[in-house]
Amino acid sequence: MSDTPPRPGSDAEWEALLAQLRQQPLAQPRPFFYARVQARLQAQRAAPLARLPGWLRRPAYAALLGALVLAVSGDGAALRAAPAASPPAPVPRALTH
Amino acid sequence: MAYGLPLLATLAEVPAPGAGAADAELVAQLQQGSEAAFRTLVARFQGRVYSTAFSLLRSAEEAEDVAQEVFVEVYQTIGRFRGEAALSTWLYRLATSRALHHRRRLNTRKRFAFFTSLLGFTNHLLHDVPDHAHPQALLEEAQQLHLLHLHIGRLPAQQQVAFTLRYEQELRYDEIAAVLDTSVAAVESLLYRARHTLRQHLQSTTRHV
Repeated sequence: MSDTPPRPGSDAEWEALLAQLRQQPLAQPRPFFYARVQARLQAQRAAPLARLPGWLRRPAYAALLGALVLAVSGDGAALRAAPAASPPAPVPRALTH
Repeated sequence: MAYGLPLLATLAEVPAPGAGAADAELVAQLQQGSEAAFRTLVARFQGRVYSTAFSLLRSAEEAEDVAQEVFVEVYQTIGRFRGEAALSTWLYRLATSRALHHRRRLNTRKRFAFFTSLLGFTNHLLHDVPDHAHPQALLEEAQQLHLLHLHIGRLPAQQQVAFTLRYEQELRYDEIAAVLDTSVAAVESLLYRARHTLRQHLQSTTRHV
């Protein structure tokens, strides 16, 4: 009988649900959307520093980061033994025999 | 996740399905810095960008935020757009990737807020909104649609985007393939899996009512 409602989960019910989804009116932005986009653009132009992470905008953190980079990127020269200008003292010959 | 942020870098590989001459002219004007062209672009695409973001996020506030981000990015990067893909493809791609990124961020924040609420750092109670609908009412059409939206939101990202673009934005398979930077066969597969999963979930929900 054609008047029988489709049983739950049937193809007919599924197709009806998809049709219902298609018929839903698409969501639209509130009025004056363009004005809000412009305001956002203006705000970004006015504050180029705002793109940086918050912690990087604080001078103390930036200085700390700089010091850390300098400390880590050193070639370890300060930790080496004395340079060749003062060569190691020769071992006394008496001790070598 | 396979669906990353393939924006301008991959546009050269994407075919341009039906890129109209009007869009090409609009892009040329935008690249010359025309404010009027930007206004036209926003007027022409704001509905599609916003509704795509809304379909993926189900929040007017978040969709507005994403739509604004998309147009700001278009304004800032239009100089690099080479017109090898349709303008609408690029915009859909930006909208979907931004919306998914937004959702990931929201989920992370929500999980963190839940964790801190458990530790008592805040006094806010975070829980899912209870569903007080009578079980019988779940069989009603509106409730079925509500359930469908709920389950669409739980699909894997690519399936969700493909399903939304197909059934809400009514894009063709080749257009969806261009947005997702994949093949038509892959889109067919994504949609098949999405429909299968959704039907299973809806059937099990109905069975438990």
